[in-house]
Amino acid sequence: MLDLLVIGAGLAGLTAAYSAASTGLTVKIIAKGMGVTHWHAGTIDVLGYDSDGKGVARPLEAIGDLPDEHPYRLLGTERLSVALANFAALTAAIGLPYTGAQTAGDNLWLPSPVGAARPTFLAPAGQVAGDLSTGQPLLIVGIEGMRDFYPKLIAENLAKQGHTARHAFLPLSLFTPRHDITTLQLAKLAEEPTRLDPLAEALARLVKPGERIGLPAILGFENHPAVLERLTKATGASVFEIPTLPPSVPGIRLHSRLRRKLEAMGVRVEIGMEAIRFGAEGAHIGWVETETSSRPLKHRAANFLLATGGILGGGIDSDHTGRVWEVVFDLPLTIPQERSDWFRPAFLDGSGQPVFRGGVPVNEDFQPIRPDGTPVYANLWAAGGTLAGADSIRERSVEGIGVGTGANYSLCRILHASRD
Amino acid sequence: MHNTSWHSVGNSMDECIKCNICTSYCPVAEVTESFAGPKYSGPQAERFRALDQIAAPDHSVDYCSGCRVCNEVCPAGVKIAEINARARAQMAADKGIPLRNRLLGRNELLGKAGSFAPALANFALHNPLSRVLAEKVMGIAVQAPLPHWSTDGTFSDWLARTKHQRLRSEKKVVYFHGCATQYYEPFIGQAAVVVLEHNGYEVIVPPQNCCGLPLLSNGEFVAAEGYHQGNLARLGGYARAGYPIVGTSTSCTLTLKEEAPELLDRHDEATLAVKGATWDIFEWLRELAEIGELRTDFQPLGSKNEPLVLPYHAPCQYRAHRVGKPSLDVLSLIPGVAVRESRARCCGIAGTYGYKVEKYQIGMDVGAELFDFVAEQGPVSLTACDSETCRWQMEHGTDIPSRHPIEVLAAAYGLYDLEARRVRG
Repeated sequence: MLDLLVIGAGLAGLTAAYSAASTGLTVKIIAKGMGVTHWHAGTIDVLGYDSDGKGVARPLEAIGDLPDEHPYRLLGTERLSVALANFAALTAAIGLPYTGAQTAGDNLWLPSPVGAARPTFLAPAGQVAGDLSTGQPLLIVGIEGMRDFYPKLIAENLAKQGHTARHAFLPLSLFTPRHDITTLQLAKLAEEPTRLDPLAEALARLVKPGERIGLPAILGFENHPAVLERLTKATGASVFEIPTLPPSVPGIRLHSRLRRKLEAMGVRVEIGMEAIRFGAEGAHIGWVETETSSRPLKHRAANFLLATGGILGGGIDSDHTGRVWEVVFDLPLTIPQERSDWFRPAFLDGSGQPVFRGGVPVNEDFQPIRPDGTPVYANLWAAGGTLAGADSIRERSVEGIGVGTGANYSLCRILHASRD
Repeated sequence: MHNTSWHSVGNSMDECIKCNICTSYCPVAEVTESFAGPKYSGPQAERFRALDQIAAPDHSVDYCSGCRVCNEVCPAGVKIAEINARARAQMAADKGIPLRNRLLGRNELLGKAGSFAPALANFALHNPLSRVLAEKVMGIAVQAPLPHWSTDGTFSDWLARTKHQRLRSEKKVVYFHGCATQYYEPFIGQAAVVVLEHNGYEVIVPPQNCCGLPLLSNGEFVAAEGYHQGNLARLGGYARAGYPIVGTSTSCTLTLKEEAPELLDRHDEATLAVKGATWDIFEWLRELAEIGELRTDFQPLGSKNEPLVLPYHAPCQYRAHRVGKPSLDVLSLIPGVAVRESRARCCGIAGTYGYKVEKYQIGMDVGAELFDFVAEQGPVSLTACDSETCRWQMEHGTDIPSRHPIEVLAAAYGLYDLEARRVRG
């Protein structure tokens, strides 16, 4: 029988599957659709803002200031650091290396799609040259007619923050005769030599000495590192990607490489399967069922890991009466069941909205617990956005929580112990 | 428990968060601008259709191939492909249906007509002059991989011929063969029958209609409903009595399970009984394997030192069945077979889509991903896929013969000649 069934294919689910499979456990992933990797910037944000909304310079050192129930507090700095280091090693192994700031432990400050400085901890090699901690002038290059990327806006906003920045446009015809195209398709086109060469030449003509070049995140899909290298060589400048609005090519690259790695390790990844029901005997879950075109399909496993995300990811749902529930196991939640308690009076309240801090409470092994602290099920674990205690979008900790709690080494230890 | 994907087709559009993941993955929008992409043609355009402001506002929805990659990747559970199918039906109702689409929708009629004199029919359809005429007059692409009628009789003929050899048993299963097996590829049905009998099951083959899918995908909902009614009348009794109904055509079984009920909006007792009793044959065999009841007396299929390398493409319909890849699970139990799993999104044929002159090249461009995958596997003698039109397209795109996994399984039991495509003994 399968050692572990992971529900959810976001960063938490993929990391969980990887860490379990790499210790020799048999693992399968099921997911309703593509996960949050397709929306986020492809970076690993660990902690960008503290509870007062102030930027965090060194996230791992700020964890002690978080509320007791925050997943990072349960995890502890050491487990989180190990998970992040292992993740960086994994990305190098799959040919998509992630690095941090030059001063180890600092946040990087990367330009967002509107030109704001965005704090993140680990970024793919293709994004780090955008770090706004250095004062190097920026040339932001857009593509005419491309939706969801506005170089003028980005350059203007960067200038307002004291950076030297200007913008330029390249024609879409450099890539395609089409009038409309998605970022993923552009990325695939950009790595074809017939498009890459003219792109490199055009950029070399545009750039002035001393500038670095920021482009929308479409610099190749399969051969992204080679595209980056070619452009850097041709222009003599550092070249970096700025994430576009979703869907996000850097996130899809990460998903695709991780998934391929998992599949090569024998992990089946089934997308389009929505968990709708489960069966348990006492405190032991026996199976999870997914909805199909006819009868539900049973997935049996010795253990289960819930990584379905929070309200945004669809792991937690609500209705107009104020009822909130966890969608697979109907686990206890810390979200108030009174709709009037979800929000503070001010929409943009600096300390965030209580509803977003709620989720599935867990113990130190990341097993979902009841209010009295006892595990709800003996063979159930949880990771990522479904966990209680973090306001992850506001504090910019989505991926750090995913990677940190996904790599659940105590789970692996426990499973091995029970198997031996 | 509340579940978004159990929403009705129409309401599911409200779950759309406009993230465009579907558009990014759509294999058709990637190769042509004729299709605006699933988000625009689906949940977005649907708002206008729903408001009855404009009837069928964008004709590009006709270029949706129905492969359902969008449904699979959608993080919100929007039934995009179904929204598009309904919009196509509305267009057909408004504008009328061209003769070509009426013909392509009538698989059963074509099959029956040709099988009176299959050799003649094959000549009439496949000679170069007729194909040029078919393209000019009707818009059926001259290169499109159309099937050949069986010159060895229909599947029913074979059943009648081998009546005395068929297994009688307490354990019974109903077999839905579909039109392609009946008229073009009776050997698929033969392989299915010997596999089921080898596992101790008597195979009941009731008279049956076309499942109606070709009509549904060409927007002829009224005619499709007629076929569906016929099948309910003939299969309903077995379903109610608890017999599993298994099929080798992933599109037919999908239609009985979901396409007909959802698109025709039928939720009557008979529809639900047949829906609940229908299985893809490998979905059912996998279930047998899981409870330890699938026979595993396999003979290795490769030669002594070399396994049979088998590039396998799961048809798009499995995506819609949402049962994973059951053939892959079962085939991987056979020693001496190295199954290589294709991750291509679609072969491009999408039922009758790739037959149409204006869509043939789109289909081939979509399929390139799959053809390239097969080429990367080195020299192989066979490929495999569960759906008939996909197999024909794969053969067309790769020049390598393709087999249904049930043929591979029958061969592994020593009951079937994989090369000659016939039952042994």
